[in-house]
Amino acid sequence: MNSSLQTKRRRRNVITMALAYAATGFSLTWLVVILAVLLWEGFSGLSLSVFTEMTPPPGSAGGLLNPIAGSLVMTTIAVLIGTPLGMLAGTYMAEYGRYDKLTTVVRFINDILLSAPSIVVGLFIYEVMVASMGHFSGWAGAISLAVIVVPVVVRTTEDMLTLVPDTLREAAASIGLPRSLMIQKVAYRAARAGMVTGVLLAVARISGETAPLLFTALNNQFWSTNLNAPVASLPVVIFQFALSPYHDWQKLAWTGALIITLAVLALSIIARILAAQRRSS
Amino acid sequence: MVDVALQGTGISAVDQVDRARVLQRLRLGDVVFRHITRAAALAVLIILGGIIVSLVLGSLPALRTFGVSFLYEEVWNPVTEKFGAIAPIYGTIVTSLIAMLIAVPVGLFIALFLTELCPMWLRRPIGIAIELLAGIPSIIYGIWGLFVFAPFLQQHVQPFLIELFGNIPLLSILFAGPPYGIGIFTAGLILAIMVLPFITSISRDVFEAVPPVLKEAAYGLGCTTWEVARYVVLPYTRVGVIGGIMLGLGRALGETMAVTFVIGNAHRISGSLLAPGTTISATIANEFTEAVGDLYTSALIALGLILFVITFIVLAIARLLLMRLNARVGG
Amino acid sequence: MSVAAITVPTVTHTPGNAEDLAEKISIRDLNFFYGDHRALKDISVPLYQGKVTAFIGPSGCGKSTLLRILNRMYDLYPNQRATGYVRLDNDDILSPSQDLNLLRAKVGMVFQKPTPFPMTIFENIAFGIRLYERLPRAELEDRVKHALERAALWEEVKDKLSANGLSLSGGQQQRLCIARTVAVRPEVILFDEPCSALDPISTAKIEELIDELKDDYTIAIVTHNMQQAARVSDFTAFMYLGDLVEFGETTRIFTTPNDRRTQDYITGRFG
Repeated sequence: MNSSLQTKRRRRNVITMALAYAATGFSLTWLVVILAVLLWEGFSGLSLSVFTEMTPPPGSAGGLLNPIAGSLVMTTIAVLIGTPLGMLAGTYMAEYGRYDKLTTVVRFINDILLSAPSIVVGLFIYEVMVASMGHFSGWAGAISLAVIVVPVVVRTTEDMLTLVPDTLREAAASIGLPRSLMIQKVAYRAARAGMVTGVLLAVARISGETAPLLFTALNNQFWSTNLNAPVASLPVVIFQFALSPYHDWQKLAWTGALIITLAVLALSIIARILAAQRRSS
Repeated sequence: MVDVALQGTGISAVDQVDRARVLQRLRLGDVVFRHITRAAALAVLIILGGIIVSLVLGSLPALRTFGVSFLYEEVWNPVTEKFGAIAPIYGTIVTSLIAMLIAVPVGLFIALFLTELCPMWLRRPIGIAIELLAGIPSIIYGIWGLFVFAPFLQQHVQPFLIELFGNIPLLSILFAGPPYGIGIFTAGLILAIMVLPFITSISRDVFEAVPPVLKEAAYGLGCTTWEVARYVVLPYTRVGVIGGIMLGLGRALGETMAVTFVIGNAHRISGSLLAPGTTISATIANEFTEAVGDLYTSALIALGLILFVITFIVLAIARLLLMRLNARVGG
Repeated sequence: MSVAAITVPTVTHTPGNAEDLAEKISIRDLNFFYGDHRALKDISVPLYQGKVTAFIGPSGCGKSTLLRILNRMYDLYPNQRATGYVRLDNDDILSPSQDLNLLRAKVGMVFQKPTPFPMTIFENIAFGIRLYERLPRAELEDRVKHALERAALWEEVKDKLSANGLSLSGGQQQRLCIARTVAVRPEVILFDEPCSALDPISTAKIEELIDELKDDYTIAIVTHNMQQAARVSDFTAFMYLGDLVEFGETTRIFTTPNDRRTQDYITGRFG
C-alpha cells in the first residue's frame, strides 16, 4: 500500500468535502443575507398607510395601494385566462393525445416556453396588443402574464394527470362512462390537489414578474379602474422607485419588495403543504 | 334455439333503449370536449409561433436598415439612429458565462453535499432553503444588488481584486479599475446566485437516481466519497447534469430585472469586467418605453429576437438532453 | 416449456342439458394482436347464459387479454387489435360502429386491483346510476342500497356511506367495485383475477358472491388459482400460449381432462 498515495487521496477527499460544505454554506449565507436585508429595509417602511394610500409624488409620504390593486387584478385575470387554457392543453396531452406525436411536440415547445425570457413575452404582447390598439393597457399586462401562466399549468396538469393510474380509467370505462366524463369526474378529481398546486406555483411565478409589464401595462401614478389604460403594478413601481434618487421612493420600493416576497413565500408554502398532503393520502 | 337472453339480467329491453339514448346525447359533449382540449394543445404552439412571428416582423425595419452589421456594430445612438447590438450581446454572454462559471461548481458541490454528506434530517430543510433562492423574484435580487451588494463589492471586494491582479498581464486588464460597484462582474455574480438553485436541484435529482449498488460497489473497493462522486456518480449522471446546466444557462441569458439594476447600462464593450456594460434584456427594459421613432423600437425588438433565438437554442438542447436521459432511464 | 407438436385444440362442450343452455357471448376464430405479435390464436369458445365460465392457464397465456376483448377495453390503447367474431346476443362486439360505452354498460368488469373512485362510498355507486338515469333521491338511495346488498357490503358500510371509498379495506374495496358494477345493471360481468390482491377471508366472501350473482348475470372469471376455478365455475377453459387448449364442464375438466397439457397444468406439473 503506497502510503503517500493514500495520504494524497485522503487529503483530496477532505478538501473536496470541505468545498461541499462551503458551497452549501455559501448559498445559504446569501439566502439569509438577502432575506435579512429585505426584512430590515422593508419592514421599517411597513405600515397601514402602505395599503391605504396611493403612490406619492417624490418628497411626500404615501403608500402602494394602486400598484397592489393593479397587481392583484392583473394577476387574477391572468390566472383566470391562463389556467383553463393550460389545463385543457395538459388534459389533451395526458389523456386523448397520450400516444400522439402532437403531444411530443407540444411538450417540447411548452418546456421551452416555460423557461423563455419573460421580456420577450412582453415584446410579443406589445406587438400584438399595444401597438395595434395604439395604447398601453391593463388587459395587455394581464394577457402577457397569462402567457407566462400557461406553460406552468400545462406542465403540472400533464404531470398530475399522468400519475392517475390507468386502472382507475379502466374502471370508469367499464361502467360505460364516456371519455370526457371520465376525465372530468374521475381523473380531475384524482389529480385535483396536484393541479391546484400547479396553479399556486404559477401565481407565485407571475407575482414577481416585472419585465412583461414594463411595456404592456406600463404604470400609473393614480388610482385607476380602467383596464383599457395603463395600470400600476407592484413590480413596475418598485422598478421605478428603486432606480430613482428619492429616499422615500426607495423606502417604498423596499416595502413593496417585502410584500411581494412574503406573498410568493406564502404561496409556495401552501403549495408545499398541499403536495405533502397528497403524498400522505 | 337461442333463448332470448334477457331473463334475470335485471334490466328490461326498454331500459336498454333509454340507455342508448342517454349515451347518444352524451356523445356530442364527448366529441366537443375532445376537440377543445386538442385546440388548447395547439394553442401552445400558436403562442410560440406568435412570438416568433411578431418578433421577426417587428425587427424587420431595423434588420433591413442595418443588415448583418447590426450584429457587430458597437454604436448605439438614438439621435443619429445608428444601432448596433454587439455591446448588449457581449454583456448578455459574458454575464451569463461568469454566472455559470460560479454556479456550476458550487451547485454541483451542494448537490454532492445533499446526497452524500448531509444528515438525513437536514436534507429537506436545506433543499427547501435552496428552492427559496429560486423562488425569490428577480426584482428583489435587483434592488438588493443595487443597494447592498454593489456598494459592498465597490468598497471591499473590487479594490482588492484590482490590486490583486494589478501586475498579472491578462488579469490586470480584466480586473482594471475604477471600482464602480455596478458592472458586468457584479451582474454576473448576482446571476450566479439566481441560477445556483436550478443547477443544484436538477443535479441533486439525478444524483439521487444513481442506483445505490453502483456506489456501493465503488465504496466497497475503498473509494473515498470524492472518488465515488467523481468516477461513478458524475459520469453516470452526465447527461442530466449537462441538461440542468443548459437550463440554468437559458435562464441566465434571459434574466432581466436582476441584471438591469446593477449592470450600469453603458452601451460599450470594455476590457474590464468591473466596468459597466449592458445586456440585451437590460437594454430593452430600460429603453423601450422611451424609444422614439420606429427604427429605435425596431432595433430593440431585433435585440429581443436575437435573445429569443439564443435562449431557444440553449433551451432546446437542454430539453433534448433531458429527454434522452428520461428515455434511457426507461421513463 | 416446449410443446411437442401443434395439436388441434380440443374444444368439447358436453354440457348435461345442452338444450337449456343459451350462448350469451359467442366467440369464434378470435385473434388478437399487440402490434405485430399475435397474442390470441383462433380462439373459439362460448359463454353460456347464467353460468360462470373460468379461464385458467399459466401467466402470459392470454386469458386476461381475452377477457378485455369482451368489453373492448383494449380500445383505450394504441396498436392493439382484434379480428374474428365475437357476439353478445346478436350484437357484434368487434364492429367498429359498436357503441363502446353502451357495450361496457352491458358488460361490466371487476379488476385485479380494487379501484374505487376518489369519492364517497355512496357516490361511487350513485355515479354509475346517475349516468344513465334521473332518479329522485329516495329511489337513488334505494338502488345504491340494493347494489351494496348484492355485493354483501351493505351491513358493513350502511353507517358510513359518506366516507371515502379509499378508506375501506382491500376486500371491502373490491366488493365496492362489484357493487358499482352491479348498480349499472349489466348483463355480463367479467372478473379479472378479482381476488389475487386479497386475503383468504375476503377471497372466500367474493367467491360466495360470484355464486349468488350468477343467477342474474353471465359471468366470466380469469384466475390463476385453480382451486378457485374449480370451486366457483360451471365451465372452465384452459388456455396456453394464446391457444384455447380445452373447454368443458368444470367437473370434467378437473377430473378427466382430454388434453395432456390440461392434465399437466392441473396437476401442477407446470404453472
